[in-house]
Amino acid sequence: MSAGGVAVPLPGTQARSRVGRWLEFMRRLVSRPDGLVGVVILLIFSVLALAPTFFIGPLETAITATGPRLSPPIPGYPLGTDELGRSMLNLTVHATRISMVIGLLATVVTVFVGVFIGIVSGFVGGRTDAVLMRIADFFLVIPTFVLAIILTSIIRDAVGGGTTEVFGIRLSLLTIVIVIGITSWSSTARIIRSQTLSLKERAFVDRSRVVGAGGGYIMRVHVLPNVVNLIVANAVLVFAGAVLTETTLSFVGLGDPFQPSWGQLLDAARQVGAPGLGAWWYFVPPGLCIVLVVFAFTLVGGALDDMLNPKRRGRR
Amino acid sequence: MASNFLLRRIAVAIFTIAMIVVINFVMFRAMPGSPERILGRNPHVTPELLAATRERWGLDKPIFPDQFVRYIASTAQGDLGYSYVTRGATVVEVLSAHFWPTIILFGIAEVLAVVIGLALGAYSGWKRGGPIDYIGNGLSLLLYSTPYFLLGMAILLLFATGLGWFPTYGMLTIGQVYASPIDRFVDFLSHLALPLATVTLGLVGQYAIVMRSSVVETMSEDYVTTAKSMGLRDTRVLRAHALPNAMLPTVTLVAINLGYVVAGAITVEIVFNWPGLGTLTVDALTARDYPVLQGIFLLLSVSVVGFNLGADLLYGALDPRVRT
Repeated sequence: MSAGGVAVPLPGTQARSRVGRWLEFMRRLVSRPDGLVGVVILLIFSVLALAPTFFIGPLETAITATGPRLSPPIPGYPLGTDELGRSMLNLTVHATRISMVIGLLATVVTVFVGVFIGIVSGFVGGRTDAVLMRIADFFLVIPTFVLAIILTSIIRDAVGGGTTEVFGIRLSLLTIVIVIGITSWSSTARIIRSQTLSLKERAFVDRSRVVGAGGGYIMRVHVLPNVVNLIVANAVLVFAGAVLTETTLSFVGLGDPFQPSWGQLLDAARQVGAPGLGAWWYFVPPGLCIVLVVFAFTLVGGALDDMLNPKRRGRR
Repeated sequence: MASNFLLRRIAVAIFTIAMIVVINFVMFRAMPGSPERILGRNPHVTPELLAATRERWGLDKPIFPDQFVRYIASTAQGDLGYSYVTRGATVVEVLSAHFWPTIILFGIAEVLAVVIGLALGAYSGWKRGGPIDYIGNGLSLLLYSTPYFLLGMAILLLFATGLGWFPTYGMLTIGQVYASPIDRFVDFLSHLALPLATVTLGLVGQYAIVMRSSVVETMSEDYVTTAKSMGLRDTRVLRAHALPNAMLPTVTLVAINLGYVVAGAITVEIVFNWPGLGTLTVDALTARDYPVLQGIFLLLSVSVVGFNLGADLLYGALDPRVRT
């Protein structure tokens, strides 16, 4: 009963501050091998994403490129160069920022939509629930990637490109954020809905209703805080999916060459014919970054699931 | 009761396909470049000509219900319009030209991945905590984190460019004259090998992960304990009691994953220039050939829904508990 994450603090933890509890939680996370490896990898990439210019200088362009063309690693260019003579190290580090920021924004949108629909669907029930869950199932079944390709190109043609930037990301890349949000909220909604269904039956919700609380208030004050655990564990996995989707969308030519993400670099490598030319240094660095980040998110997601999900606790 | 379950699954499938068609219709309206808008840019076009064009394409009728009904009717008859790029060719013709390469590649890869993935997952779940389990689980997770096309690029670099064992692109060697159909088939196989290996490797990880956890879960069920306490040999417990039950969730997974497999399909095909629906998708995307893109979406969605329905029915036949 108490394992459901109901906000009744255990004796002794009451006095500890929110920060303290968070630190304690992080300590438990990194005391597991999978949690530790995941967190360390993610920390490294987050630091790179926060200040790429500090580590590696501004993003090289066709004009500022100084290296030889398509050269394997040589002194001064530890990861080789692309077909314009830009340092792959420089490109990969800057791509970290683009990939991580798009992944983060897409996760925020996805989780927000999923949590909202999940809570409303589970709490309101009835016909609203039936309709919303049919729509969720629809997005779970269909090949959303093809839909994402079409939506991205249509939205981009309709909105137009331009150099307007939001959060340092060009508008053309923001369409990717929106499209990932539209196409991948449904699994979050499903998970949150089923938790809401069980929360709805708890005594504290009835109590609140009896003293006259409205639906919106109950959802905000009683349901939402009790699904935060699930949201966090789910968001980590959503992030991994978002990074993969962004990479794949960029790889099929929907990236922005002026703001290269890892996927965009891989697309460039393919167009130059890097695998056929034996130019492994062109696609191994961005590729390795993607694998590491997704791997780390999957590890952390699994660890969080083990720690937070009462059904899986104590099982491997 | 059984028929009730069946009917419900079929109703859901029909509903899903109806939604796909509606979404396709809405996207058709939302996309830029109607004949009217393009003609309107020309100052010499008379209002009469514009009106005639509108009438010719049915744009003078209201979007709902006239245009909508017409769209549904022609889609139902298999008329998906014309490709913008290949002039005169219908979308159906373009799609069917690229259909078989994809079916061959992914059909075989799916079968291989299911067999290898389930075997690997069952073994590591059975020998939980052993070295094979440890390595297999880590490898599965890594494969699961790797985009298919990245795997494809690495494999291409290693086995085609580096070692020169296999050709680097296409389905057949261009301009090759074959002495016999067998030569042609061998050439086809050598082209198929690398993309096939890529897709299979990409799929194996997730199947192994699910099968493993399913076996682990089944092993703690009462009937397995009972079977063990009856003194049955380990392999017999596994084959006769644990595996058949552990397979069930995997059936659903294989079907559900088809939707995601499609994304991988698209990218692997471009890496190897495999002339299937994936390469077509990217070509159509580059040329903004919307009718073809929507045809692909319709075709893939309907196939995925169909396979899902098949899996549901199979699940119903295998597990009487869900037939309620």
